[in-house]
Amino acid sequence: MSRKSLFTFGVLIVIISSFFSCQQVDEREGIVWKNIEKGLQSAFISAKNGDTIRLDSGHFWFTRSLMMDGKSDIVIIGEGMDQTILSFKGQQEGAEGIKISNCKNIQLIAFTVEDAKGDNIKVTDTDGILFSKVKVYWTNGAKENNGAYGFYPVLCKRVVIEDCVAARASDAGVYVGQSDSVVIRRNTVYENVAGIESENSNFVEIYDNHTYNNTGGILVFDLPGLTQYGHHTRVFNNKVISNNHSNFAPKGNIVGMVPPGTGIMLLATRKIEIFDNEITDNRTCPTAIISYDLVTEMSQDKKENDSSGQPINHQYKLDSLYDPYPNHVFIHGNTFSNKHWFPTLESDFGKLFLTKFFMDTPDIVIDGFSDTKLKDGFAFCMDQSNIAFANLNIPENLKNIRTDPSPYLCKEGKVQETTFKFPGQ
Amino acid sequence: MSHNRQYNFFIPTFIFLAICILPNACKHKEQAVQVTEENYVHRSIEDVKALKKLSDYGMFELPLSEIKPKDRVFPYDLNSSLFTDYAFKKRFIYLPEGKAMTYHAEQAFDFPDGSLIFKFFYYPKDFRQPEKNLQHIETRVLIRENNDWTALTYIWDETQSDAHLSIAGDTRSVAWIDESGKNQKVNYSIPNLIQCKSCHEYAGKMMPIGPTARHLNKPYTFTTTHVNQIDHLISLGKLQGITSAASCPQIPDYANASLPTDDRARAYLDINCAHCHRPEGPAKNSALNLLASEKNPIAYGVMKTPIAAGIGSGGLKYDIVPGKPDQSILYYRMNSLYPGIAMPELGRKMAHAEGLALITEWIKLME
Repeated sequence: MSRKSLFTFGVLIVIISSFFSCQQVDEREGIVWKNIEKGLQSAFISAKNGDTIRLDSGHFWFTRSLMMDGKSDIVIIGEGMDQTILSFKGQQEGAEGIKISNCKNIQLIAFTVEDAKGDNIKVTDTDGILFSKVKVYWTNGAKENNGAYGFYPVLCKRVVIEDCVAARASDAGVYVGQSDSVVIRRNTVYENVAGIESENSNFVEIYDNHTYNNTGGILVFDLPGLTQYGHHTRVFNNKVISNNHSNFAPKGNIVGMVPPGTGIMLLATRKIEIFDNEITDNRTCPTAIISYDLVTEMSQDKKENDSSGQPINHQYKLDSLYDPYPNHVFIHGNTFSNKHWFPTLESDFGKLFLTKFFMDTPDIVIDGFSDTKLKDGFAFCMDQSNIAFANLNIPENLKNIRTDPSPYLCKEGKVQETTFKFPGQ
Repeated sequence: MSHNRQYNFFIPTFIFLAICILPNACKHKEQAVQVTEENYVHRSIEDVKALKKLSDYGMFELPLSEIKPKDRVFPYDLNSSLFTDYAFKKRFIYLPEGKAMTYHAEQAFDFPDGSLIFKFFYYPKDFRQPEKNLQHIETRVLIRENNDWTALTYIWDETQSDAHLSIAGDTRSVAWIDESGKNQKVNYSIPNLIQCKSCHEYAGKMMPIGPTARHLNKPYTFTTTHVNQIDHLISLGKLQGITSAASCPQIPDYANASLPTDDRARAYLDINCAHCHRPEGPAKNSALNLLASEKNPIAYGVMKTPIAAGIGSGGLKYDIVPGKPDQSILYYRMNSLYPGIAMPELGRKMAHAEGLALITEWIKLME
């Protein structure tokens, strides 16, 4: 073939492939969409405390956020997550699919919310919120312009997310922020940047979940400058499998720094117990415990005009209530396996691990930044045998990486279980 | 040889066809969604305790469309006003006989029970003749009862004779000719009752936004004698707790180009953004405070990092980068029409060209 026809051939390939990607846009033609928007929004507004709002099976099309404010003891129940579908693909207004604010004891049960322009379901300033058998996702694949969060309770108390599905959020599928008393259990979470993320929250129980093919499986973060700081979180009995998805978070967001191939990551948080999890085939960081100093360090490595750097709250050192170091982190009884010989190379971590730990990626890494005055006796300890460990010693520029786990072995350090009355109980 | 010629002919033709068909194919797919209307009734509108028509208030002369207030219904306006897709607005306060508002320096004035605030949203057909051919869209009412505010909105019917209570809001397509003679149109969005609160929330409760000292402190334009609006309210006995406008704070008119850019930009952000972006507002979790009284540059966005902005960050690191509007999230979100990025979140389907020009100039002048 001549160069010209090669070129033509190339153009043809591009056109044909764009044709197929165009077809993907509407993968489910033939759906009968129904519009109950005004009636349902009116129901959300005029509902009396104690009402149950029922949703039929079928596909429902919305052009605005559905909102509820200032109600108590409301149940919103569909016919099942595969039967009752609320689509916000045609959304022209509002930053979320469903938004619930200033409420008490709300139960969302058995339906799907898909394709919101922002977050699929946001709940704010609410005491008592239960999500059960609810699915939230974006139908058109894992894309940067998907909404940030699937489930997004923030500034809430008594949060339960159970038997749900969350996929393809450009930040976190299941996110809980600045909240108290939280149970996240039996959920299936995949193809998000962060699968499950608990941020600046207290008394959180994350168990029996299956997180796979996210960029990072389960994250427990504490960030500076917010209304409260996190502590007391237990992460156990989860399947954290093959979280190797490329990081598609829009730049400017903290999860943008999570390396593809992260199983569990803790950032600057305290009173954490991680046990009995199955942590399998996460290529880069099966488990990482890091401090906010590292986040700062990673940001400063970037040139000033490089927009890929993460924004840093430089004022965190002025925030006397914020502790940038993880504290009292107890890890035990987890099973680690990794069939991959190499980390993913899409992050600085991955490249580093390839050179420093050739074909033997560590199961648990810590960054080596430490608190000079420990409040809870120990920063990190573990009861794990036959694992590969690394203290990266980043403060000494990665010289002197230590792989001997013995300074960190312990038998005790349990974190108290959290119990509370569920919404609807 | 002949085979080869056929081949060369075939590919360009195919490409040509593909290029022609493709955009249409995609468009066709996007339009393929057909939505059938279906009823959903949970509780009827009769359950809502509110007057069902604007005429039920009896506060305006008939025909209502001429917006002629009865006695004791007081027209007022503001130094700087919120941008709502170029809609025109007329504002009125009704106070019960013998009752007065109580002055407050920062917050909205304290209103007695039984007070009403009306705001008419309309588009003249031709903006060059602003008093003719009004197209009324909605009239919003704030009601003061039991020390609490309730917000309602009434949507005008096609005959323009009355407006009817709306719970869930609506979208109306509106067309007009702008000041320069150009045709404009927008799908104007009428808020639902919760959306009302999402702007009018102050520390978890409903609150008026406009009737504050700094916004009311201006010449009164509804009488021939050009007194100060606050002085006028005082002289009518409608405002107590202060004796003269002289000591009141004042915010400039952002549209007044003879004033310093910094003052104009801060006035613009105050009336357009600070109802949410203030320490007591619903956007408090962003830690961005756009009240004109905020003195700390980081708090009003200069080199401030976003919190949970998601796609709203637009890949940018800071709310405001001095000298660089194109690297500032503030400008990016004011310029966007995409739900989830656009700010304000509600009531804006068009970019406000004049507002953007002001904010651009302001950021460029920053050091």
